[in-house]
Amino acid sequence: MNLMLRNRPTELDPVEELDRLQRELSRWFDFGFDNMGLLDRTLAPAVDLVESNDSYTLTVDLPGVDKKDINLTVENNVITIEGEKKETKEMKEKKRYFRKETWEGSFRRTISLPVAADADKVKAELKNGVLTVSIGKKEELKPRQIAVQVQ
Amino acid sequence: MNEVVEKKQETKTRSIQPACTISEDEGEVRVRVEMPGVDKEGIEVSIEKNELVIRGKNEPVSVEGTYLIKERQTGDYYKRFIIDETIDRDKIRAVMNDGVLELTLFIKETAKPRKIDIK
Repeated sequence: MNLMLRNRPTELDPVEELDRLQRELSRWFDFGFDNMGLLDRTLAPAVDLVESNDSYTLTVDLPGVDKKDINLTVENNVITIEGEKKETKEMKEKKRYFRKETWEGSFRRTISLPVAADADKVKAELKNGVLTVSIGKKEELKPRQIAVQVQ
Repeated sequence: MNEVVEKKQETKTRSIQPACTISEDEGEVRVRVEMPGVDKEGIEVSIEKNELVIRGKNEPVSVEGTYLIKERQTGDYYKRFIIDETIDRDKIRAVMNDGVLELTLFIKETAKPRKIDIK
């Protein structure tokens, strides 16, 4: 759940640095699973939100989730992605697990969109386990260049 | 963990370790690897001697604009396991669906526990 939005230019790429730090820390707190560390996200899907000149793009990792199990709603500029990641049939019958790092069950992410986002211009596509949602910007709030004639 | 033992990655690459679930069921070992963003063509599964190597090539992302949130890891996936000799090398099945790779490894007939009838 994001209360704060990181809104900085990425020249130094602090996010990548933090990611790296997180991986290092996770390695110290090795719980016997390689990618299940102290700070790792295992139960809520990870998202990216990118702002471009005329749209926002939201990318969500949802491997193994069926299209019909995803519910996407936009209300008051708040986008909610919820759904269920179902256990595959074979998995239910399983008797012995050697390792379990994947999860199944319901998930929900709520993200507040910037003011310029237009709830009427939302398109979503699920491909190879990645959900891409593109949200248009309101025309009147798009950055505009006004040419001023100097006389 | 008899059949599949993971070997830790030694090289310092930037590749992502995908989440894996390994389970055994009646002579089969199923490996489920989550690699969101990878399609069927980008997967490479190979066996060299006693190593099972899984590589997933992710399309490079070209982002126009600025990140407001960045949580996803982007890059290629890499996972390596040591498999022991009870796994049948010639009978591996791989299915890729919705960014999830499902590998089925079969245990050799000779390695299965046998029940001997007493006459």
